[in-house]
Amino acid sequence: MILATLGLLALAVLGMPLFAVIAALALLGFYSSDIDLSVVAIELYRMVDNPVLVAIPLFTFTGFLLSESRASHRLVRLTEAFLGWLPGGLAIVALFACAIFTALTGASGVTIIAIGALLYPALKEGGYQERFSLGLLTSSGSLGLLFPPSIVLIIYGVIAQQLNLGQPISIDDMFLAGLLPGLLMLAMLSLYGIWAGWHVPRRRMAFSWGEALGALREAIWELPLPVIVLGGIYSGLFAASEAAAVSVLYVLIIEVLVYREIPLRDLPRIMRESMVVVGGVLIILGVALASTNWLIDAEVPMHLFEWVRAHVDDRLTFLLLLNIFLIVLGMVLDIFSALVLIVPLILPIAVAFGIHPVHLGIVFLANMQIGYFTPPVGMNLFIASYRFQRSLAELVAASLPYFFILLGSVLIITYWPALSLFLIKGP
Amino acid sequence: MLARLRWIMNRIEDTVLVLVLGGMILFAVLQIGLRNFFDTGILWSDPLVRVLVLWAGLIGAMVAARLDRHIVISALAHFMNPHWKLGARVVTDLAAAVVCLVVTWVSLRFVFADYVARTMAFAAVPAWVCEIIIPIAFLVMGVRYALHSLDRARELLGRAA
Repeated sequence: MILATLGLLALAVLGMPLFAVIAALALLGFYSSDIDLSVVAIELYRMVDNPVLVAIPLFTFTGFLLSESRASHRLVRLTEAFLGWLPGGLAIVALFACAIFTALTGASGVTIIAIGALLYPALKEGGYQERFSLGLLTSSGSLGLLFPPSIVLIIYGVIAQQLNLGQPISIDDMFLAGLLPGLLMLAMLSLYGIWAGWHVPRRRMAFSWGEALGALREAIWELPLPVIVLGGIYSGLFAASEAAAVSVLYVLIIEVLVYREIPLRDLPRIMRESMVVVGGVLIILGVALASTNWLIDAEVPMHLFEWVRAHVDDRLTFLLLLNIFLIVLGMVLDIFSALVLIVPLILPIAVAFGIHPVHLGIVFLANMQIGYFTPPVGMNLFIASYRFQRSLAELVAASLPYFFILLGSVLIITYWPALSLFLIKGP
Repeated sequence: MLARLRWIMNRIEDTVLVLVLGGMILFAVLQIGLRNFFDTGILWSDPLVRVLVLWAGLIGAMVAARLDRHIVISALAHFMNPHWKLGARVVTDLAAAVVCLVVTWVSLRFVFADYVARTMAFAAVPAWVCEIIIPIAFLVMGVRYALHSLDRARELLGRAA
């Protein structure tokens, strides 16, 4: 059993598709507990009992539609018109545009392609140092991960619900909880942008009502989208899955019929592309629900907790160790793998240490967000390297200041739970 | 012959995938419209949409297996030389194929049990009809990975020769 598990882990590291690794672990686990293996299929099929999952394909398809259209151009023009006059204006424009675009499209690396490609020349022309710009765009490709309707917030909620912690965790709570921590990251990075912008010799742009109105008019059809998504969910008018259905219909209508930037004949291709991503995520989630169930049956988290408690006795030490562990984890695992493999193990321990499951989710995802641009597997490093034609080493060095700023924000998010929980529970 | 079979298989996957996602959007939107504007709803719409999510996910996973785009842990692969990488993939793809085929078998037993018991999913739709996509998807993915492994083994041998 242990030998087989080790063999599987070796295969996983060598590049075996993760869903197959997890499925094999689940099969092995149930086999060793003398449980009928059909339970793997039964657990997989239980995904149809969860209404929240509908949001995943719908929001992902919406994001693909947006990234195929010229929405990124309109978003950049709009943020530039309203924020460009600030010191460090362009840097702040980049941060806000990246965060909004990532939240709406999911952190799939498409932000760097869509927004980074637009802003890189602009930042260069604006007199910003090349190193500053490269680092900014590489590290901001995952900024916005904590804002709704990010898919990872939904997936964390689904996994946490599966664990039966005795505390209800709703997806709406996750959507609320990510808001202030996400804004904190945005604010800290913006301050750095302002500081850097101070040293840029070129004069700042003046605010122009004409340009602001023009940008508004151009983006007029897309402006209601955040209102539909956020307003619908926060006001309690829609559930997350309903907000997703309304967004997909709305975006289909405006991009295909109003802006006419996506020809009808392209729709099947975009549908297929988006569902390949969804399939990759959902199948991992499905088999992980089975393996998690075995973990709980076998009381693995409980044993793990006893072991941890023998070595760690207070919450602060636990959180500190957790942060170190998650940063390292983010370096070697992508966010989806980390979610399905690690959350079932550490969440019960964290709850036993008195940490709110929603807070843990935000801490987890905030750490993983940094993992997007840390070597060796940071996906955004590779996308940026490809897009900007730079070596990985150069991008890693350029991202370093952003790494430390985001690390600072992660520490604040970790040790100040109220920041994540304020909007759900009140002061 | 095999190439033609692959071509047909690809077209079927793509077409069904588009239909499933289209249906999911249609019924999800229709239900919201009916509920908010006409204060009514189709009783079986919600369960249908949830089953379609499973179908979209699994067919998406079939296409991902075909395009070799499933999520993998790539930490080590970045540092391996191409030759070793190819060799590793021959083994890992074969292992993935075996796992997929085992899941195919155990899920067939699950589907068959529901078929025999005449379990209903919703409205007049039997549960096995909704569940059948699980063994289908894992069978197809198993075959895809077996073929990937074979292709890579051939490439490796071709290089050695």
